[in-house]
Amino acid sequence: MKIKMTKKNIAKMYKIWFVIPAVIILAAMIVFAGFAIADRDINSGMNIGTDFAGGSIVTIVLGEDVIGTDAGLGAELDKIVAVLQDDEIAQQVVDRALEEYEITLPIEAVKADVSYSQRSDSGANMSIIVKYDNISSTYDPDNSVTNLRNELIEARLEEMYEVTEDNASMVTMSNIGATASQEMVKSAILALVISLALILVYVVIRFEPWSGIAAVVALCHDVAIMLAFTIMFRIQINSSFIAAMITIVAYSINNTIVIFDRVRENNKAELKLKPNAALDNFEICDRSLKQTMTRCVNTTVTTLFAIVIFAILGAASVREFALPVIFGLFAGFYSSVFISPALYSLMKNASDRRKAKKRASGTFVGQKSQAQKD
Amino acid sequence: MTNKKSRALSIAVLTIFSIVVVLGCVFAFVSLDDGQLGIRNYVAYPKLIKLGLDLSGGAYAEYTAEQPEDMTDEEFNAAIEGTRRSLEDLLFGKGYTEAQVSSYGNTIRVEVPDIDDPERIFDLVGRPSSLEFKEYTSEDTVNETLMTGEEIANAGVVYNNGAYLVALEFTSEGAEKFADITADLVGKKLGIYVNGELLMAPNVNEAISGGTCTIEGDFTYDEAYDLAVQIQAGSFPLDLKMTNSNTISATLGDSALKAGIIAGLVGLALIVVYMCAFYGLMGVSASMALIYYACTYVFFLAVFPWVQLTLAGIAGVLLSIGMAVDANVIIFERIKEEYGSGRNMINATTIGFKRSLGAIIDGNVTTIIGAIVLMIVGTSTIRGFGITLLIGIVLSLFSSLVVTRVLLKSIMSFHDERHAKFYMLRRREADDIGFDTIENAEAVDEARRAEEADAIPLPVGPDADAVLELQEEAVENGATITAEPVPAKQKQQPNNPRRKYKSRRTKGGTR
Repeated sequence: MKIKMTKKNIAKMYKIWFVIPAVIILAAMIVFAGFAIADRDINSGMNIGTDFAGGSIVTIVLGEDVIGTDAGLGAELDKIVAVLQDDEIAQQVVDRALEEYEITLPIEAVKADVSYSQRSDSGANMSIIVKYDNISSTYDPDNSVTNLRNELIEARLEEMYEVTEDNASMVTMSNIGATASQEMVKSAILALVISLALILVYVVIRFEPWSGIAAVVALCHDVAIMLAFTIMFRIQINSSFIAAMITIVAYSINNTIVIFDRVRENNKAELKLKPNAALDNFEICDRSLKQTMTRCVNTTVTTLFAIVIFAILGAASVREFALPVIFGLFAGFYSSVFISPALYSLMKNASDRRKAKKRASGTFVGQKSQAQKD
Repeated sequence: MTNKKSRALSIAVLTIFSIVVVLGCVFAFVSLDDGQLGIRNYVAYPKLIKLGLDLSGGAYAEYTAEQPEDMTDEEFNAAIEGTRRSLEDLLFGKGYTEAQVSSYGNTIRVEVPDIDDPERIFDLVGRPSSLEFKEYTSEDTVNETLMTGEEIANAGVVYNNGAYLVALEFTSEGAEKFADITADLVGKKLGIYVNGELLMAPNVNEAISGGTCTIEGDFTYDEAYDLAVQIQAGSFPLDLKMTNSNTISATLGDSALKAGIIAGLVGLALIVVYMCAFYGLMGVSASMALIYYACTYVFFLAVFPWVQLTLAGIAGVLLSIGMAVDANVIIFERIKEEYGSGRNMINATTIGFKRSLGAIIDGNVTTIIGAIVLMIVGTSTIRGFGITLLIGIVLSLFSSLVVTRVLLKSIMSFHDERHAKFYMLRRREADDIGFDTIENAEAVDEARRAEEADAIPLPVGPDADAVLELQEEAVENGATITAEPVPAKQKQQPNNPRRKYKSRRTKGGTR
């Protein structure tokens, strides 16, 4: 099997390659701004999961007969979600918030989104636990409106499940703090930054400074594109997402390195071949990337197999997680093949030109230029 | 080695490897119990992999803390946060990297995955209680509190002279305080009170100033362990009262795990088909190595502590299966290229492995750097993820550099140049790999060959031994290759480079 390659110099077409991700990132920024302005809340720009933001938990004892099966659980969950999203309750909360706390807030901000549901206990005591988000702290810094809303929701649920004095503990409601704290996000970002710095150092030592910079820019691109897609598709950002982002970065660097390894080798061969000529960096990068293209395509394809099947077979929550990973894999391929070699050539050309200028003015500029002078 | 001998060796290698892989697969799916085949209580090893809250559920407990009167609101909030962190660290230390501890107001909620009995939470974090040191005079008198558990940094079990002891480690302030107290109490008894009740009253023999002390007392291991856990739990800055505890189910339901398993198996099958279609018999060797990799990876995930798979972990494992053939793809592409440039099959293979080593090592070292940073810098979830990633990389390096190589050489020993097509190897044509002309390609080949002598990369990383072994072999074989100035075939038709690349066809004609 053989992949037919274009005769055009791929690395030289950098203008096209740089514009495409820029457009995607710009589009994401517009979506972000759109949601942030519509909700008058910067936090609404992204869909931030409850594990970062905390939320509320409602527990309803329904017994194994009702929620023992997945179908039964789903049916009850639908009923509860209907209450959480209820227009009437939301309007009541908006009115009372204005009246009692002098807080104005849009009705959409009051409606609760479910982050997950699960069963607890067994037999007649089996209960459903539903975790849902609080009203954004932009409107409701001390959770007083959230508590007000939760009271109304609890009352409605008690009415729906016909709670009397005999079974008063059937519906219970409580608040839950953030499990993945700010600390976790901070440490993840720190880990990402330190890894990038160390990767930069390693690549600079093993290759050239320009390859190191190009590789790290490619990784930043991958992170930015993944974030852009999650913003555009309103995918929930939670601790799993952070982990996914780190995996993609770890794998994406592989592609970039394989291409730079070939560039390094072709550079050496070229210097041996024409010791007196200046290197044509675009030409060498283009050749290297065409030589490694089959491998990059193959590896991306084999990596996609399992994760795509996972996304197809899995439920909505699985898909919500697998999608950013799939975007990330494409972004990783794209940046390794189209961005980093082009960027490397541009920077290398500029530095070669500078060296040539220095040489013209008679300064000593190192071994390679020396060889060229001879 | 004669051809016959090497074939016999190859048959032995392939047979043993196949048996190992088949056994690995069988034991992955079959559980044995009650004396079948004389084995009792064997559980299929993938079932031993610990799962996070989202995939398997577990149990939760809720604790409330009373705000002591002498504490300001600010101090109280700080104390709650401190307790939350201590709990998190405690659970991480016990391998529950995916346990979640959250606080809200004066409530702390602990969720522990992969346990089916809420009582287990108490085995893990203890029944958090207050710990006090007082002078013990008699059963009825209660003396004033000299010190509390807050000043204990750590409690654990040590084994000394055939007895289990509980070792306490104090904070620096606690160490000073404890030294003063014990100096005052030499010859008397120090009472250790838990929740106001006397736990024990050991004799004080001398002032203890080292910042550590041990409690002796005819403990079994379990008793010592329980006590250590209890004391550690008592070192939380607040008194915690449990208000609620129960089991919880997986937040993603069973379907996510099932989807993950099916995706893994189908993905594996697709990769095998793809590799065989693309690389022929080379792909077969990579596929065998991949199955071996999958079995060992799952096994290691099952036996390693600190591995708890969540949805992200499952996705990580799925990606790693695809990435495991990455090194093989790099090597095979290289072998194809070397063969294309006129080498014979065996030489192309040796050189292909050698030449791709640089890229593979550099690529994987950067990934390993990332994984290690996650393990050091990350918090619980991220740290566990780093460990999973690291195991995967190291195993995949072994399987693609060592296992595939051995398998491929064994398979190749049955074949010669005529069978190159079964390995999807063919001579290069002008438009194959981005060179303008065939002369250009050839010139680069020559330059590369000249470069070869000083282009042996140094081995780095965890698989350095395997790499070294591999490299020695490569140098051994490589020496004959570099000594050979032009490939044999080129000698025959030195003036017609284009014929060289079609030599397979000409050879076929003369056969």
